[in-house]
Formats: sequence, structure tokens, C-alpha cells
Amino acid sequence: MGSTKIVEQYRPNFEGWIQQFNEWQSRIGFESGWLGDYQFEIKFDWSIAGERIEFGDFEGMPKWERRMQVPQQNIRDAIINMVSVQGDTEFASVEQQWHLLDSAPTEYDRKSALRIMCEEQRHGWQMAYVLCNYFGDQGIREAQKLLERNSSANPVRGEDDRPRLLGSFNEPINHWLDFFMFTHFIDRDGKFQLKMLSTSSFKPLAASMGPMLKEESFHLGTGANGIRRIVTQGVIPCALIQKYVNKWVSTGLDLFGVDESTSAEWAYVYGIKGRYDERDNEVVADREHLNEESRSLYFDELNKEMEAINARRKDGEPELFIPSDKFNRSVGKFKGDRHDLRGNPFEGGDEDWEQYINDSLPGDEDESQLLEFFKEEWIQYREWKE
Amino acid sequence: MMQAHALLSIDREQLRPFFERVPELFEAHHGHEGQDPEGYQELLYRVYRPYTNRMFDMIDEWMGHGHRSWHSDVEREVLLMLYAIRYPDTLLLESLSDEVYLDIRRISGYLHFMKHTYTIWDEDTRKGLARLGIKIPNTDRADPFIYGAYISAIELLKELAPYHSFMEHDVPRQRLFQAALAGYGREG
Repeated sequence: MGSTKIVEQYRPNFEGWIQQFNEWQSRIGFESGWLGDYQFEIKFDWSIAGERIEFGDFEGMPKWERRMQVPQQNIRDAIINMVSVQGDTEFASVEQQWHLLDSAPTEYDRKSALRIMCEEQRHGWQMAYVLCNYFGDQGIREAQKLLERNSSANPVRGEDDRPRLLGSFNEPINHWLDFFMFTHFIDRDGKFQLKMLSTSSFKPLAASMGPMLKEESFHLGTGANGIRRIVTQGVIPCALIQKYVNKWVSTGLDLFGVDESTSAEWAYVYGIKGRYDERDNEVVADREHLNEESRSLYFDELNKEMEAINARRKDGEPELFIPSDKFNRSVGKFKGDRHDLRGNPFEGGDEDWEQYINDSLPGDEDESQLLEFFKEEWIQYREWKE
Repeated sequence: MMQAHALLSIDREQLRPFFERVPELFEAHHGHEGQDPEGYQELLYRVYRPYTNRMFDMIDEWMGHGHRSWHSDVEREVLLMLYAIRYPDTLLLESLSDEVYLDIRRISGYLHFMKHTYTIWDEDTRKGLARLGIKIPNTDRADPFIYGAYISAIELLKELAPYHSFMEHDVPRQRLFQAALAGYGREG
């Protein structure tokens, strides 16, 4: 049962990190005034974190609560890496999205997006806190790095800024259709990652996930609901929406990492990252195909969600669909392969393939067309009700 | 202070079986055709400022209420109250005329669809709360204290619920918990 504890006092090293965070906000273009009365808090739900390690080679032993309880340096490094990647995505999404606030289609959407950005920053705080509080100098350094990288998609960028760690978090979110696609498809990947960490052998990490998952459900809901509202309104043709689905699904699938991943296998062996359905799954894990299994569950969920979106279509609009997991992949065994949207091997030459990709993914002409649609009432109106 | 009191007096173990089943209970109750989920969805979008009598009618229809025979002054009074009220305030209800004050279900419906932090008053939901050890007295009147206790109890449950209670759904979370509680109350 949920029993969230809020940390009330911070150590000096985290206080120092907060100063850097304030500077990060100004540097990346996010005005702190937008936060209103929102307060960043560090939240742990220890009650659902579990007492004993739930899987892997240390199964049955007490969960590790401090760095020195973690038996090997390589396990510490793996935990730091997991926390750093998670934290990196949290700040990256704010860098990608803040510029949209001025062009929100409704006040409801502006406030929803702002809430999401506040909560993503809180999640970044949470990950930075875990690094600073539990991993000494190494953790403090990694927490600093979370604020040093800058998404390639951020309109406010220094020439020497290094990009964010994962592909999707450097993709531009040019407009609100991209925003809803991102929150539906990419934040859904985030839900999977958080759930996989919720059974972690490192207890502070597992205990961080409950409150984060609770907040993440609003983010996903905003995305799914936004796409449904667009389809219901029927101004933007489904054929055009489909191109954005194709773009974001393929990058979302990439986020699950390589096939036959050894790092996923080691994370499982160490008990630091489980399967999405770890607590409900009674089958012995196939340790060599952990990423594939998670990706497959994600893919199934996308298809189910698409049914609900399709139910809102106007008469005559073509059915939207989730493209094959073989299409347009940059990570995994289908990386660089040529498969069509239905997963069939592409038959044709280089030029044909280039044309097919141009027809299947959004290009400049589609973006211009969208800008015209945005001048109309393109999304079902909804009022923000407090 | 009130929340601290509530947190100290609540039996967390008693909540556990309910929290495990929130999504299932919600689906069974909200998704039931008698609840007209499509109609509920429509109201989420079609009720917005400036409020009109037509919006009252639509909410009444979904709630299954008969025609309200209010004087125009009363209708204006309710409209003003709905514009002014801000969660967690319920004391404004005391300022309402008797004919409104005597109808908590109707007024809670307006409050819910116009301010999502307020919850529909419902007998099954009250029974669901009782199964969790939260005893809210029965009433027909829009009593600010009883209704206030009812909505803040649901807010508290929202706070305490673990993440797996929060299924992804495009209804406000107050409705998610209220409908799940109604399903739970009906079982009891």
C-alpha cells in the first residue's frame, strides 16, 4: 500500500546540486516562475519497495539500503548508470518541451504540459538525490552531469553542449502533435522503465519508483487523451497523424535497447532491474532476451491503446495502426534493415526505399500542412477544472 | 492538521484489499452500461465556462434526476456558487437556498463536472468508504461538513493509494476512486 515519505532535510551536497539545478533552469530556457507554487520534493514509498532481493543471483538476500552493502563495485557502477540514464531522460524532456507552452491549443493543455514538466523535473531531482545521497563523490559527479548535457532538441543550446544520452530525447518536439505523440509513446516507455526498476535490489531506487509511477500515469493519460481528442475532432487527417505515429513508435521501440543485451542480463543477475511484470510473472526469466520481452509487452500495449484511439475516428477516415517493430529501427536486430510498415521485407532499390521512407515519415511538407491545420480548431476543446 | 488527524486514525491494512482492486472495481462500475460511460465522457468536454442552464440539464440527465423547478434567482445563486467555490472549500454550500440545500446528489453532480476535485455524492460510494472504516453519515442535504468529509476522504485515499491503483484512464482521478468505491460498496 502506498505510504509516501517526503525527505525534509537535505545534506549539503544535495543543497549544492539544487543551486546547480536553478542555474540549469535559466540556462535551458525554463522560467522558474512557471512553476507557480509547485514545490520539488524527494519522495520514497518504502512500503512497496520489498525487503528481500526478488530475482537474480542475490535473490532472497536483504535488499541493499546503502552503497557499502552492495557487494561489488561493478554492481554499484551498474546502479549509478541506471539512475543516471533515468535522470537524464527526465531533464531532457523538459528541454525538448518547454518552448511549446506559448502555443498551447487550450489552457487545459498548457497546464497539463506544465504539470508534466514540473513532475519530470521532480523525477530528475529524485534521481539526483539518489546519486548524491547514496553514491559519494562518484554519485555527485554523475548528478552534476545530468545538468550539463542538453537535449539536441532544445532551441536554447550552446555550441559545445553535449546531447542527451538516448535518441528519443534528442528528437525535436516541434509542435503539439509531437508533444502528444511523445507523452503517449515515449512516456509509456518511461512507465516500463520505472516499473522495471520498482523491484530493484537497491532499495532507495525501488522506493523512488512508486511516487514517480503515480505521477507518470498522468503524463501517459495526457498523451493518449490528446491523440484521442485530435482524432475525435477530425481536422487533422488520420493519414497525416499516421506518419507521426510511425516516427514516434520506432524511436520508442529503440529505447528498450539492443537485443540479446548483456547489460540487461547483468542488471537482472544483480537484481537491479527486473522484468516489467516481475512480481506477477511466474515463468523463469529468459535472461538473454530481457529487452525483447519488455519491448514485446510495450508493443502489445501500444496496439491495445490504438484500438481506443481508432474508436474515435470520423466516418471515412482510415484506421490508424502501430507500425511493425521491424520498421525504421536504429537499435536492435532490425537496425538499418529495410522493412515496410507491416513488417514485410522491402522490395525495391535505394531510391524506392528513400521514397517509401519519405512517404511514411513526416517531412517538411507535412510540417507545413500541420501548421495550416493548427490555425483551425484542431483538437477537441477541454477546460482545465481544478 | 485535519489531514494529520485522518492519517493517524486510518487503518492502512483495511485499505489494502481495496487498493489492489481499484482498476477492476472502476471498470466494473464506471464501465457498466447503467452508468453510461459515453455520456460521462461527453460531459467532461461539454461542460465548461461560461456555465449555462443547458449544462445543468445535461448533468441532470446523466445523473438521472428529474426536472429541477428552481426559480431563476436560485439558479443564479447556484451559478455564482459554482464560479466562486475552490477546493477544499465546502462552506459556500451553506449559503444556498433551501431547495438546493436539500439535494446533495444534484449539487454534487454540478460540482463534479464543473470542478473535478469535487466528487459525486453516491450511496454505494458511502458504503464503500464505510467498508474501509471511514463512516460518513447519510444525508440528503448539501451539508458542507458531511459532504466535505466525504470528498476529503476520497482525496485522502487518492494520496495513500499505491501507483498500481492509478490505471491510465481519461477520467479525473476523483471519478476513478469514487466509482471504484461505489463498486466496493455494492459488494459489501
